[in-house]
Amino acid sequence: MITDILIAFTDWLGATRLTAIVAGHFWIVPALQTVHLLSIAVVLAGAVLINLRIVGLVERGQPVGAMLDRFLRPIAIGVAVLALTGVLLIAGEPTRALFRVVFWLKMALILAAVSLTWSHRISFRAGRSSAAGAAAATPLRKSIAILALLLWLAVIVAGRWIAYVEAWPGAPA
Amino acid sequence: MSLQDFAFWLSETRLAIALTDSEWAFPAIESLHVIALTLVIGSIAIVDLRLLGLASKQRDTGDLIAAILPITWLAFGVAAISGLLLFTANPVSYSENFYFLGKLSLLAVAGANMLLFHRFAHRQLAVPGALAPKLSGGASLTLWVTIVAFGRWIGFTL
Repeated sequence: MITDILIAFTDWLGATRLTAIVAGHFWIVPALQTVHLLSIAVVLAGAVLINLRIVGLVERGQPVGAMLDRFLRPIAIGVAVLALTGVLLIAGEPTRALFRVVFWLKMALILAAVSLTWSHRISFRAGRSSAAGAAAATPLRKSIAILALLLWLAVIVAGRWIAYVEAWPGAPA
Repeated sequence: MSLQDFAFWLSETRLAIALTDSEWAFPAIESLHVIALTLVIGSIAIVDLRLLGLASKQRDTGDLIAAILPITWLAFGVAAISGLLLFTANPVSYSENFYFLGKLSLLAVAGANMLLFHRFAHRQLAVPGALAPKLSGGASLTLWVTIVAFGRWIGFTL
């Protein structure tokens, strides 16, 4: 059922001009992958600094609220560019990622990592001088920070594994 | 001994054979390499953008560098070791690849730029409107973006 819907989708996508353009020039795929990697750099560095700050390992002199003010927006822009370059990479070779379980696992991990990273806002309001922004992190918040960071790392590992696993049964060759 | 000689010797070591025989070793080391290199570049970019006066403007540049540098060095260590292991899996092809050799050269230039910054430009951080830290940050950002591009091009030209 899901396989049939995906086959219909990839058949349609593969016939569009987008696929013709991305697949038609040697340099487009490595260029897209370069932008994809640079965006991962933005997201991961931001996520590491926010979450390690909450745990208390870096930037201890900075209020957590101020760290969120500085890094949540670059992370959001990075995720948006990753989605865009990801869609274009899929358009370049429609049957490569969509029929692999690890690709959908990666999407679920992204959803979880983004949700947990933004959930820090519940504990630390905006504004660098506000008392809530400078409050100490609770043990629960620290645990969520560690989990969020591990999820971001898992996203990267899952992404790399797309290139190595087999497609599920019934997928187009 | 040239890089090619070293590559031939390396390709026959037990480590190289173990790496090529294993199904999961290469993707696992690659994953580690991606995590480490994106962290190197992301953390360096935070400092470069501060040097250029484009981000973290309320943070003292010297303090920011002191806070970020340990992350950069740790990640660089992991990137270098995992990179060496990836090289070991296919040393002859890499050592003959234009983009691989270009990437190594650019890494050396980026290292020299960092050394020059800490030797000279670092002292000018307190000078308002000083040009040297801005040049250093701009050069670093350009170099690292190019290094990522060269790294990605290796995979398509091997």
